Order: sequence, then C-alpha cells, then structure tokens
Amino acid sequence: MNWQDVWTLYRRELRSAFRERTIVVNSILMPVFLYPVMMWVMFTGLMFVSGLADRAHSRVVLLDAPRNHPVLMDTLENRENVELRDQITAESAVSLIRNGELDALVEFAPPGAEGDELADNFQVAISYDRAVERSRRASDRIEAIVDNYREEWVDSEAAELGIAGADREQFRIVQENVSSDEQMGALLLGTMIPLFLVLMVALGCFIPAIDSTAGERERSTWETLMTVSASRLSVVTAKYLYVATVGIIAGVLNVTAVFLSLGAIMAPLLAEAGDQFQFTLPFLALPVMIVAAISLALFFAAAMMILASFAQSFKDGQAMAMPVYWLALLPFVLGQQTDRTLTPVIAAIPVANAAMMIRDAINGVFLWPLIAETLVVLLVMVALCLMLARMVLQFEDLLMGSFDGSFWRFAKERLLNRNGKKTAGAKQGVV
Amino acid sequence: MRDTRMILIAIVAPLVLFPVMILVMRAVEQNEERRLEDTVYEYAVTGDEAEWGRRMVAAALELEANDPDTTRNPVRFQEVQTNEADSLLIAAEIHVVVEALSPEAFERIRAEEEAAADAEREAAGEEDEAEEEDESEPELSLPAVRLRHRGQSDFSRTASRLLGSRIAEVRSELRDSVYRAGGLPIEVSQIASVTTENTASAEREGGAMLGLALTPFLLLLMLSGGSIMAVDTISGEKERGTLETLLTTAAARSDIVTAKMMGVIAVGIAVAAINILNLLLYLVLGIVDLPEQFAIALSPLDLVLFLILFLPLTVLVASALLLLSGYAKSYKEYQIYFFPLFLVFLVPSLAGMLPGMDLRSAIAFFPIAGIGVAVREIMIGEYDWPFLMLAFASTGTAAWYAARLTEKTLSTERLISASDLDEADLTGGAALFPRHVLRWFGVMWVTLLITSLWFGESLGLRGQILVNLWGIFLGGSLLMVRVYKLDPKTVFALRPVHPAVWLAVLIGIPSGYIVGMGLAGLVNTYVFPVPQPVLESFGESLLGDDLPLWQIILFLTITPGILEELAFRGALLHGLRKTFRPVVVCLVVGAIFGLFHVSLFRLLPTGFLGVLFAGATLLTGSIFPAMLWHFGNNFIGIVPVQLGWITEETVIPMWTYGVGLVGLAVVFAILWRVRTPYPDLKKKKPEEFM
Amino acid sequence: MENAMVRVEGLQKSFWDESRGEVHAVDGIDFDCRPGEVFGLLGANGAGKTTTLRMLATILKPTGGRASLNGHDVLAEPEAVRRSLGFFSASTALYPRLTGRETLEFFARINQYPPDRVAERVESLIDRFGIAEYANARVEKLSSGMKQKISIARTIAHDPPILIFDEPTVGLDVMAAIEMQRVVGELRDEGKTVIFSTHIMSEAEKLCDRIGIIHRGRILALGTLDEHRQATGQHYLEDIFVHYVAATGAGGGAAAAIGAPGPGESGQ
Repeated sequence: MNWQDVWTLYRRELRSAFRERTIVVNSILMPVFLYPVMMWVMFTGLMFVSGLADRAHSRVVLLDAPRNHPVLMDTLENRENVELRDQITAESAVSLIRNGELDALVEFAPPGAEGDELADNFQVAISYDRAVERSRRASDRIEAIVDNYREEWVDSEAAELGIAGADREQFRIVQENVSSDEQMGALLLGTMIPLFLVLMVALGCFIPAIDSTAGERERSTWETLMTVSASRLSVVTAKYLYVATVGIIAGVLNVTAVFLSLGAIMAPLLAEAGDQFQFTLPFLALPVMIVAAISLALFFAAAMMILASFAQSFKDGQAMAMPVYWLALLPFVLGQQTDRTLTPVIAAIPVANAAMMIRDAINGVFLWPLIAETLVVLLVMVALCLMLARMVLQFEDLLMGSFDGSFWRFAKERLLNRNGKKTAGAKQGVV
Repeated sequence: MRDTRMILIAIVAPLVLFPVMILVMRAVEQNEERRLEDTVYEYAVTGDEAEWGRRMVAAALELEANDPDTTRNPVRFQEVQTNEADSLLIAAEIHVVVEALSPEAFERIRAEEEAAADAEREAAGEEDEAEEEDESEPELSLPAVRLRHRGQSDFSRTASRLLGSRIAEVRSELRDSVYRAGGLPIEVSQIASVTTENTASAEREGGAMLGLALTPFLLLLMLSGGSIMAVDTISGEKERGTLETLLTTAAARSDIVTAKMMGVIAVGIAVAAINILNLLLYLVLGIVDLPEQFAIALSPLDLVLFLILFLPLTVLVASALLLLSGYAKSYKEYQIYFFPLFLVFLVPSLAGMLPGMDLRSAIAFFPIAGIGVAVREIMIGEYDWPFLMLAFASTGTAAWYAARLTEKTLSTERLISASDLDEADLTGGAALFPRHVLRWFGVMWVTLLITSLWFGESLGLRGQILVNLWGIFLGGSLLMVRVYKLDPKTVFALRPVHPAVWLAVLIGIPSGYIVGMGLAGLVNTYVFPVPQPVLESFGESLLGDDLPLWQIILFLTITPGILEELAFRGALLHGLRKTFRPVVVCLVVGAIFGLFHVSLFRLLPTGFLGVLFAGATLLTGSIFPAMLWHFGNNFIGIVPVQLGWITEETVIPMWTYGVGLVGLAVVFAILWRVRTPYPDLKKKKPEEFM
Repeated sequence: MENAMVRVEGLQKSFWDESRGEVHAVDGIDFDCRPGEVFGLLGANGAGKTTTLRMLATILKPTGGRASLNGHDVLAEPEAVRRSLGFFSASTALYPRLTGRETLEFFARINQYPPDRVAERVESLIDRFGIAEYANARVEKLSSGMKQKISIARTIAHDPPILIFDEPTVGLDVMAAIEMQRVVGELRDEGKTVIFSTHIMSEAEKLCDRIGIIHRGRILALGTLDEHRQATGQHYLEDIFVHYVAATGAGGGAAAAIGAPGPGESGQ
C-alpha cells in the first residue's frame, strides 16, 4: 500500500466533502450554530412564557370573608395580580370556573371543631380548575397569601402569649452543598457531553460513510476510481480515514459548542435559580475525550461503511447504515447511572463504555486500567469491522456493485455458506 | 408502496425498536430507583451541640420509620462515628454530615464563610454584592442544624434532603408543643387552614393533558410519514428519470400535482394512524404508564371537529413537503431543508402549550398555532364557535395558498431542467453577489449571536462594539466587496445628495424616534410582554460600564451610525436591489436589521427604523442620509438619558406620537419630491407563463 | 505480433447466476493490439465487450486465460496495468464537486505521473481541449459537452500508452460524437494503442484499423475492414456482422479465422 496514494485520495475526498452542502451543514455548521441558537430561542421563549404568566390576572370570588382580619382582606384586595369579582353564589362561581370565565372561588367558613378554640379562626376552601393553568396559578396565589398571613398571625399570637422568638423558631435548618462550583458544573457537563459526543461522532460519520460508498456508486464515479493506478486497499483506506476524520471533527466541534453554550447561557440562568455552576474541564479530560472521539469515529466509520457499501443509491445506503446510528443511542438508553463510574462490566460494552469514560474524565476521575480496557474493547471492535470489511471486499460482485441485497443477505449466503457450491464471484483476493 | 425497504425503515423498525428502547429505559429507571431506595445512608454527627443533634436525627428517623405511606419502604440511615466527618464526606465515604451548632458557633462560622467569600470576590475583581438587610427585625440568635452534602452525588443529595425534611417535621412538632405549652388553644396547622378542591372532572383534566400535546404530536407524525412519500415522489422520481415520463403523459399538470398531494396526505395519515395505534398498544401492554384516574371524554362531535380542523393542516403539510421535494434537486438536498421546515411547523403548534393562551385572541389568526390552541380547548370541553371557525379559516387560507403555490411551482419547467449553469456561475464575481448576499448575512447573524452569547460578558461594551461593528459588520462588508470584486462606491452608495434631504433627515430623527418608541410600547403591551426585570437589565447592559460621555457618543452613536449603515443600507441593500421590488426591499432590509439586534422584543421598533433608513437610501440613492439619521436616532435615545434630562419617570404624552407620524409623512414627502432614486432597481416584469 | 502492447489469450469470464446457472460472459477471447492502431470490438449489447474491457482494466478478474498490457499481467500486476492504461466508459463519471483543473490534477497524480510535472501537464491538457474558460468551475455546473471534454482529458491525464474507450459515444449528440471520434483518431496518430468498443457500425467503419466481431462472449472474426469484406463478400459492416452472427446461429461455434492474428488463436 502506497501512503502517497492514500494521501492523494484522502485529500480529494476531503475536498469534495467540504464542498458538499449536506456534509458541511450536518457535520460542521449545525453543531457550531445550533446550540447557541437553540439555547437563545429557548431562553427567549421562556422569557416570553414567564412574562405572559406573570401578567395574567387571577379572577377570584370571595365569599363570606371574615370581618376581623382587615390585613388579610387588604392584601387580597390590593394584590396586583389578583382581581376580586363581585359576589355570586357558590354554584354560579363553580360553573363559571368550569367555563373558564373565573379562576378561583375562595370560601371562608368558621373553623372546624379542632380549630374552634382560637378566637377569630377560620378555614378557607379554594375551588379551582386543575385542568387550566391560569386557575391553578390563582389557587396557588391565594394559598400563598393565606399561608403568609397565617405566619404573621401565629407570630403575633405567640408574641402576645409571651413566647420568645427563639422558642418559636426553635432552630435553623441549613442545607449546604460542599461540592465546589466546578464540581457542580462538571456534574452537568458530565451528563450532557458524553451523550453529545457519541451521538455527534455518529452523525458526523453517517453522511460521509454513505456518500463515499453508495453515493459514489450512484454518481458513477465508483468505476472511475476502480481504474486508477492506486491499489484497492489504498482507495478503501483513504475513504475510511476520510469518514473517520469528518466524524471526529463533528464530534469535537459539537462538544466545544455545547461546552461554550452551557457556560454562557445556562450558567447565568441557573445562577438566578440559586445554583452556582462553574463550567471547567480538568486538563487531562481533553486528551481522554479526543481519544474517545477517535476510537468511536473509527468504529462508526467502519461499521457504517460496511453496511452502506451494499447500497446502490444514497437513500438505500442511508437505510442500511441506520442501525449503526441507533447504536449511538445506547448511552442515552442506559440512562443516568447515578454515582457510577467505569466498572469492568461497563468498560466491556462498546459505545456505552466510551460515554462513561468521558463522563468520568469530566468529573476528574481517571481509572486508568478501566480506561485501557475501554480503549481495547473499542479497538477490538474496530479491528473486527476491518476484518469483516476485508472479507466482504474480496467478493467481486460486491465490489462492482452488482450484488443486489443487503448485508444480512450477503452474510447468510457467503460468509455462512461455505460449501463447495460455485458461488458467483467466488473469493478472489482483493489486494 | 412496493418499496419494501421504505416500509421496513419507516414503519416496522420504529414499531419494534421503540418498545424495546422504552422497556430497557424503564428497566434501567426502576433499577435506579431501587438502588436509591435500598441504600443505607451513612451520616456523621458533628458540631458543638452534637448530642442535641443526635436527638434530632433520632426523632427524625423515627418519623421516617413510622411513615404510614406504604408505597415505599422507609429509608435507612446509619450513623458513622468519626472525628473526620468532613474528610469522609468529601471522600464519598459517608453521605451526609449533620452539624449541630450552638447559636454562637453558627454565627462565627457564618461570619468566617462570608469573609472568605468576600475575599474571593475581591481577588476576582468583582464588586461586593449588595447586602439585602432586613432592617425591621434584628436577627434571632438560634442554634442550627447544618446538613452538609455533596451536590455532585445523587445519593448524598437525597440523604440530605430526606433528613432535612424529617428534621423540619420534628421542628414543627416542637414548635407546636411550645405554642400549646405557652397557651395557644389549638394546633398551628389548624389556624387558617386551607383546603383546595378541584372542580375539573377527570375527563377534563385528561383532556387538558392530551390537548397540550395532541397537535404537535400528530403534526410530527404527519411530517415524518408524509415525508417518506413526498421525497420519493418528486426528488426520487427526478433522480430516477420517471418524472419526465410522467410529465409527458396526457394527464394535466395540476392533476398530477393533486394526485401526488393525495398520495402524500394518504401516507402521512396512514403513518400517523399506525403510530397512534402503536401508542395505544403500548398503553394496553403497560409499556407506557398514564397517571391514575386518567380519563378522556370525546364525543363524536369532538372527533368530527378534529377531522375538520386537521384537514387544512394536512393539506398545508402536504403542500409544504411537495414544494420542498420539488425544489430539492436530490434526496440529500431534501434532507437538509427538511429540518428547518419541520421546525417551522412544529414551533407554532406548540402554542397550545403556552399558559393562558386563549383561542379568543389574536392567536386564532395564526395558521397552525390557532389549530393547536383550538384543539386544546375542545379537549377540555370549551367550544368557542366563532373563533373555532376563525382558526379553521386562517389555516385553511394558508393551506389553499400553499396548494396553489405548489401547483404553480411544480408545473414550471424548473422541475425538469437539469442545468444550473449560467454566466454567473462560470465567471463568478459581481453577478454572483445578489445570490449569495443573504447567506453572508446569515453567517454574520449567527456569528454575532455566538460571540455575544459566549463572549459578551467578558468583552464589555467597548469590546462588543469592536467585535460586532468593526469585526462583523465592517469586516463582513469589506470581505464581500473583495470576494465578489465589487466597486465600493457603488455598493456603499457613496453619493452626494440634494440639500433638502438634510432638512428632511433632521425632521425625521425625532419623528422616527418617537414613533419607534410608540411601536415598542405597543409591542410590549399587546404582543410580546417582557418581564420588567429583563427590560431593566437590558438598559443596564447597554450603558452598564461607567464610560465618559464622549466615549458613549463615539461608541453608541457615531460608530453604529456609520458601520451598521455600511453593512445594511450598503452591502445588503445593494445585494437585494434587484431581487425584490423597492418596497419589499425596504421591508426585508428593515426586518434583517431588526433581527440583528438580538433581543426579540427590540425587533419591531428596530426593524421599523431599518425600513425608514432603507427607504431614505432608495429615494436618495445615497447612504449618507441614513447614516445621519441613524446617528441622530441613537443620539437622542442615549444622550438625554445619560445627562439626566430624561428619567424613568418621564412620561411621553400621547399627542407627541401623532406629531411624530406627521413628521415622518413630511420627511418622505420631501424625499419623494427631490428624489434621485437608487440606480438599477428591480422593475415589474410580465408574469411568467407556462 | 511482436510489438504488441496488448495481448489477450483465451480470456474467460464466468459467473454463477441463480436463475440461469453458470453464465459464460466471455468464453475464450484472443487478440493483440499494437501501438498506433485503433482496435475495435464490435458487437451487440450483451455480447461481452464491456466485460472483456473491464477485465483488461483489472476491474474484473478473468476466470480463465491470460491478458497483459504493456508487458504487465492483469492478475499479477494490476496496478502497473492501470498505470499504463486510460479507461473511458459511459459509467465512469467525474467528481461533481471538483473543478476541471482539480480533476485533471488528481488523476494525473493518482496515476503516478511525475509529481513535478503535473502542473505543466494539466495546463497542456487544458490548452489542448480548449477548456480554459471553465476550468475553474465545478464539474457539476457544466454542460454535458464540457463534461465530456474533461472526461477525455482526465483519461489521458497521466499520458498512458494504452487507451480503452468502452462505447464512448453512447448518449452523445452528433457534434459531440464527431469530436470524440476526432480525439480518438488523434490519439492513434500520436502512437497510442487504442481499444475501442461500439455497437455503431458507422463508427467502427470510420475509426478502426482492425475490427474484432464479438458475439456471445466469443470473437467470431478478426481483421481489417477489407479482410472482412473479402471473407464474407459483403461490403457494409452491418451486413458483414449479420453474416457472421447468422453463421454461428446455424452451426454452433465455428468462426472463420481471417488473417492470422498471432499466437494464441484457438480457432473455435
């Protein structure tokens, strides 16, 4: 095999690829632009929605309001987003609620037997429509107002009874997170980045894999390639490296985009909610992620190309290579795996092991023997695929594209059926 | 339909794959839950009031053990005796540390931590956070229970949360007993007790839940299902060469298109139906769970209504898919455009999910969105007939237009003509520019978005101006000039103007500003309400840094006035001048200008100004009036506020808006009178015929 | 033939088809070609022309017999064979996203043309075929006529001594077909060995120095046009062709040997 030839072929493949709109969009542009745009849209959308929700008035009817609680009444009347409606019967109110014309009915009543002994006590029944967001919100608002009032009332009663503040409060309960902001950030990154990396490497490999096999056949440039002076092995190697390259680029770009977007957009949002996150990556995590991306790319590229090489057109190729793409969903399906790190078992499952390895690296956990196991497993998968490819390419009718059918049919017929039957295009070494 | 592979991939595979995936995910989830439940949580007790702490924990654990809730097992805790609780916590050997502190110890620790945080902030160069002091009451000196946990670990958080809530219950009981002992006649929980009652029937609630998702879900299915047919039907046929055969048959073109559309619709509906049945099957098999007491009540009337409402939607989807398929030159190309199309349909349909969305409002006028909201209302049993009809009409009209457009487009020669080639492609250069200009601005927009999102804060105001205006706008414009070998004077319309134009612009500056503000107010009130804090923070970010006035004038009025105009009324306008008619050019340039000012709520007023500037440029054939106008507009928007002449309390009386409108009318009258139109604009062409 | 650039001896290609059993696409073919001549393979569709040529181009592997091009055996030294060969057929398309210039450069390089002279070679090809005007436009944007020129140019980009044209004028309009024929003639005059397959009689008449008539995987007759006319008594190539084909149908197998092409002729 001539590496100069491989380089010439490889350069040609890349050059063509980066002028191909589909590949550029899917593998390069989408990752870089999609996340910030999506997050911006989500952010704007949330702003819009919360703006709407905040402004909606709650239309409320009060019945039998107790006379001895002017402060409560005051609050209810003057609260900005609560609109008291005229008094009507309870039945009419309920039917208005059901119609969507009223949000909540608040009925005051004398307290039950247990609450009887406190002067001026009362109980409140709030009727609302749980199916309607606005009504739910109204109910929550009223309940919050009453809860607040209750606290103040209790405080004043206690003060009258001479119960000291300290006795009322008893003690504080404080939750304290000892994880640093970086660790919290790593938690979030560790959840998202492995999934993205795996998925995006697969996506990045997908179109080039099909394009360089089935696509070439469709465009009739396959035969042209068969007549050049380079060996078949060089041709196939160049294609393989090209597909893996695009996959790696896509994966890396995606991860970078996710990382930067999280830092710029999520962090401020989460800070509002009270959680402090700092998004950084441990230094060693980067090489681990890159090695993972490379191994994954080599694996996906090989598997997809083998399957797609049975197709005559791009569309067929896509359908054939799809199952490999679904493999990339494996880490997603296997879920959170809380508090788990790489174990010997997980390290033996391809794709899932890469995801877990990346997650650990982001969290600063480096279990080198298990990382080694992961890489070995992935490389074994790659080697298996390459061996399979070699076996498959020995068959002339496949190489020439005259075999009609999918990989599975091929496997049934050729690879498993080795008796003396004279099969078409009998094995003749490719290289 | 004979395409077995298509059936395999589109129908069989999902049917088989999704249950498997869901089953696996459920198994994993249940496994996780069991792990969380079965764990024995280890904790340590520290602090100078450790003994008291232990008593609290013991009481809390007893509450947990005696929990009447039988749906889950009580969570088990175990104390670990140690002197190094914190290190064990950090090393993940225990789950939570319960630190019981006397009031003094707590105060001391808190003061230490605050000092450390302050020191950190100072070192990082940040300002001190404003202390929010509750001035009304002096803070009580209380003992404290601190639950220290590792936020990174689910187990640790769970332990801390559980223990915390139980200890809170213990505290409530203590409080209650204190109150009772002090003389309170009843339990605290009996004071002003609140009960809530749900008036909605189970059916209504079920309907509400389903109604949220029904329209988007069905749309999703129709899009992906119909896509299979659509892509094959045109792009695929083009590729296979059978399209030409079909087009030479005796069938009328419109019949062919209609037939194709029927095909797309049929397959879309079939796939949707199959998937719905599939989902029902999952429910029956118990693969997917619904909440208890879930009920739906759908009357035959409802089903008929759905059919009627979904009909225009289906036609719209089919037309769009066919149009796309006809436009795309190959299957691959179809796929690139499919995703944005998909979003264009899906996002409006989510309108039904927005809180407080009422069909009886402007939403009924929006195709797709109106249907989404209408469906949701029907599912909860509300029938707002006039507005239901309105929603149907609006989507129906859109569908009708789309169908007609599809028919027209698919009937033209463009469909079968192979060659893309023309002069411009061979020679490149200036002829290619109009075709590519929108792409350039698309890239510029995204670059702007990304830099402002990712690096906005660290750049500061001046940094942002540098990057956005100099880098992206000026840089982009000059790059375009270079790549397409354009003449800068022509592209940037650097021509002299009639003196009267200056007068017009001077009138236009305040008029445009006032009307723009009015528009912004209208938008904020009726269309896109923005929460007050966001408006405030926006104002802050605009003028945040304490810059001297002259710098503010330089960076926020002069620089944008020049550089933004060069980009928009220069390069963009020049590129689009032949693509659209003059009025449309103004609108498009204005809209794009608005889009570049990233926050959505500024879109309309900024866009409005953009239209004005574009109009001025087209009428005078020169960019200079727009530059002056832009500068002036920014000037009066910023400087008076900086100087304190206008504050938040200043109220603009209504009549000024009227004056503004009159002013604008005067401005354009003048410009029209002395017009020297922008050269080389698009003129009306005779209609293409087939 | 002593200075033969192409030697084919008893070439065979069989494959197994599920419905038809063993199929002999090429059933023992012998011929030689020398420099400065256009050797034509004339036959109907399915006669075995393309299969034969593909075997020569090492795209397919023969199941029997031998072939060598420029002294290299197709089985033993396939890459050397391809280096000496320029192959053009209707199913060898161009890469759509490369420009004309990039295409020529790629094919020159990949076929081992001396790297330091590639640029010069590309320019001379551009000149020769007059494609300077659109050499920098992407192939996908060009008309079929322009694409054809670039296709021919890339076939000879590495200046191979042997050229194979497999039905090159299929689907071309009159002017383009004439142009193709002109180029083939030019190449012959430059001393190249050209193998040209076609089913269009007039083309074979015009271009080919010697014609091999191929039918059902066998060469029925081989010689110059005059030799064929003498042997069959017919004047037009069409009639000559029909004569030979009918002869095989009647008796099964005996093909008249015309002239003595050289060693390896098995006179089937």
